[in-house]
Amino acid sequence: MTRASTFLAFVALGITLLLVWRQSWRGRVRLYVAQSWVLAALALTLGILARRPALVVVGIGFAVMKTWIIPAVLRRMARGSPVRPVSPGRSAGLPVLAAGALVVAAYAVMLPISGAVASGVPTRTAIPLAFAVGLIGLFLAVTARDALGQVIGFLVFENGLFALALLATYGLPGIVEVGAFLEVLVVVLLMEGVVVQIRREHDSLDVDRLRELRG
Amino acid sequence: MIAVLLAIPLAGAGLLAGIRGRLATALHAATVMATLAIGLAVAVTAARGTEGVALDGFLRVDALSGWMIAVIVSVAALAGAEAPRYAGDGAHRAFYPLLHLMVFTMLLAVSTDDVGVMWVAVEGTTLASVFLVNADRTRASLEAAYKYLLICSVGIAIAFCGTVLVYYAEVLRQQTAIEPAPHALRWTGLVAVAPSLSPRVLALAFVFVVVGYGTKAGLAPMHTWLPDAHSEAPAPVSALMSGVLLSVGVYAIARFKPVVDVAAGPGLATRILLALGLLSLAVAAVFLWTPSNYKRMLAYSSVEHMGLVALGLGFGGVLGVSGALLHVANHGLAKSTLFLLAGRIRAAYGSADIGSVRGLVTTLPFSGRAFVVALFALLGLPPFGLFVSEVMIFAAGFGHGYAWFSAAALALVVIGFAGLLRAGHRMLLGVNAGAAPARPAWPGAIPIVAALAALVLTGIAWPPGLDDALALAAKAVVP
Repeated sequence: MTRASTFLAFVALGITLLLVWRQSWRGRVRLYVAQSWVLAALALTLGILARRPALVVVGIGFAVMKTWIIPAVLRRMARGSPVRPVSPGRSAGLPVLAAGALVVAAYAVMLPISGAVASGVPTRTAIPLAFAVGLIGLFLAVTARDALGQVIGFLVFENGLFALALLATYGLPGIVEVGAFLEVLVVVLLMEGVVVQIRREHDSLDVDRLRELRG
Repeated sequence: MIAVLLAIPLAGAGLLAGIRGRLATALHAATVMATLAIGLAVAVTAARGTEGVALDGFLRVDALSGWMIAVIVSVAALAGAEAPRYAGDGAHRAFYPLLHLMVFTMLLAVSTDDVGVMWVAVEGTTLASVFLVNADRTRASLEAAYKYLLICSVGIAIAFCGTVLVYYAEVLRQQTAIEPAPHALRWTGLVAVAPSLSPRVLALAFVFVVVGYGTKAGLAPMHTWLPDAHSEAPAPVSALMSGVLLSVGVYAIARFKPVVDVAAGPGLATRILLALGLLSLAVAAVFLWTPSNYKRMLAYSSVEHMGLVALGLGFGGVLGVSGALLHVANHGLAKSTLFLLAGRIRAAYGSADIGSVRGLVTTLPFSGRAFVVALFALLGLPPFGLFVSEVMIFAAGFGHGYAWFSAAALALVVIGFAGLLRAGHRMLLGVNAGAAPARPAWPGAIPIVAALAALVLTGIAWPPGLDDALALAAKAVVP
């Protein structure tokens, strides 16, 4: 179980790094879908190995939502956007380097969980990897120049935290799990509404144009 | 009773989604009144020391929850009384339903005993209020709503991370413990097992919880969404957001604090809360000196007051915590009153710029005077309640050995005080050229006068039982 969960979390992290490197939008959405498949597989694996049928259900729900519904909403949001983000010609080297530093930071922060504690769940070695995915997602959201990039960053962040919750607890109580799913869905739908309106108002999704409110 | 309290705003929201016109206003009024009556009844029962339990322990109202419920339903009644001026057609059609949905999520957050469900409810407050922030559909309100949704969603996800770590600590404990595992993570259960939770995991969890829920509470440096959202939202929404929604974030932190104090030692939570509290005071002091827009000014004042509440929780002891809780109530009443009046001022002058408001009292005889009185209350002048709660918080600070720290905080409060006073002064003075004097309508005065009277009560004439209720509520935070 340790080996399987660490492997899958590692793959998810690798996909996140690719996502930082990719500049094109469609590529990013595709990578997001790939990452979601990996995390759904993680839920299924844990569900089978730890004999938690609820986790299998969670994994299936996760797959439906994050590889099908949310990407559909994202593509709808992206309609009419340039394929590449607003500021072209930026090198991807620096962000990838920063993402690498965040992986180290994730290990440092999660030391109380993955390190010295002798007991603990067998999946604990994978927890810093999941947290790193979350941190890199947050980094993407903060540094994005357009609203779509911010939304993708947020979704990657959210994926990382889902993996963290999975690895740390083998599934939260059903109501919390359902709540968390619904929230992500509603956030994305609300985002779509707001993004569509931003495009209508500003003719662009460049967040630098959002500068009405100061002081 | 508790289940009914939650069912009313939820049912009201559902029904109002399908109703228009005068019937909607009547139903809205009925929902507001029923929520207020039952909420206060639940709060009084809890304050007398009887814990209310419903739905198999899923809902549990102790004195702390009861206190929060009282504040929520009172501010909701104030905002609800003003709401008919704002609800209408077009983008405002969803106004009533979303308003009641927001009240429902806040009530659920403070009355559930389940750690995870509290998180779901707090996230729900954001989702319910995003479109309310953008109700005016201007560029500025759109930008505010976008920032609000993005920043608070990130914040709440960080709080989720903290919640997961608390679950993890419980999983670790169950591996070594003999007693059977509880089905879900309840506050009551968590407080009971706190001594055997892993201190390092809990410490890490608390950092996430404070950053996450602190974002919702508007504590600096996570406050950046707050001035935008609170200034762009329609007045009743600003009143609810500033008056209680911020405090619901603080409540979430307060619930985690006793668990962390026992598991990881008392120093950690105190240090974090004091640092964030002082930073909030500092940020607010700077921005209160440079306001251009009076709604933004009120929003920055909320950052300041949430900082004070965080200080009260950080200083700890029954005195500090009850000071913080009393401050939550006082600030809720004063700030929501001010936001509602700011909405009327904006309607009269057509602008939220401080520079465009002149001769406030001659233009709006009632609302202008009430604005000044409420501003004095907000500044913490006697005979209003904020004076008492601020004295309690600082007395706890000086009494518990944080003399230098308290002195610094007090200095920042004074700086903010002066800035707020200066801006209020500018609005009062001068002669209004444009707007014609408005005739005051007495029904609109009732809720404002009631709120100010309540502030005088908490200032100079505590109703019997208030001190016991406060002490009992504080006991939930001070183990």
